[in-house]
Amino acid sequence: VSVNTSGAPTSASILIVDADILSRHAIANYLRHCGYAVVEAANTDEAFFALKEPTLSIDVIVADIATLPSAEGFELATWVRQNRPELEVKLAGGVERAANVAAELCKVGPHLKRPFEPEAVIDYVKRLRATRAPSIAAQDLQT
Amino acid sequence: MGLASGELAVTPRGLGCVLVVEDEFLIRMLLADELRDVGYQVIEAVNADEALEVLRGVTPDAIISDVRMPGSMDGIGLLAAVRQSSPNLPVIMMSAHADPADFVAAGANQFLSKPFRMGAIVEAVRRELDTAP
Repeated sequence: VSVNTSGAPTSASILIVDADILSRHAIANYLRHCGYAVVEAANTDEAFFALKEPTLSIDVIVADIATLPSAEGFELATWVRQNRPELEVKLAGGVERAANVAAELCKVGPHLKRPFEPEAVIDYVKRLRATRAPSIAAQDLQT
Repeated sequence: MGLASGELAVTPRGLGCVLVVEDEFLIRMLLADELRDVGYQVIEAVNADEALEVLRGVTPDAIISDVRMPGSMDGIGLLAAVRQSSPNLPVIMMSAHADPADFVAAGANQFLSKPFRMGAIVEAVRRELDTAP
């Protein structure tokens, strides 16, 4: 859905940059469910690769800076501002904010609908995170 | 207790849930898109550590994994871990630098030698899940 071999960009898509697999796949699938093409990047190296790949058409970036190494999210935003100013960058600091950003995108998205409330995404990620080591799960419950 | 793939609250299950484990961004994306295009739900993991993170909470219907990956564990270690916890979960290994017989002996259901045509990944998953769109 997001790459072709002809060299011409395909339909518009959203780039998710999130180092946390649980929230990354939940947010990405939420956006897919409301009709977006989504590219998933697990770190900023992959994000830069996607942005420089001519066969990918990226319109919006949703980066969860809470999961990225310090300053990398801002470095990404700065690079985009300087090199791809036409792109919209939405920085989120945690799954709650990311889910709400995704819900806003779904409101104006290609199908003009939200598949379900963003709280369902947040609850899903928290349930998954509860299966992690107790110390990490406890941190999640406090957010 | 983890979530079964059918309980995924935020996505439809489609023909089944496939966990793709591949550190090379473009290959991972192409594999995932190929599977999504025919109706599978796909979870993309960048290495074995992420895959194990997923497996603690979600039971996919099949796993496709690269062998050589950065992180605390490679694909062989991931295969061994999966076989301990889920002996019947289909695992398809892929590599450009390995003997297929080694992986079947280690418990892999199938082995794909890189490079392979994209359609081969769908055929491999269909063989395991007995699904066709």
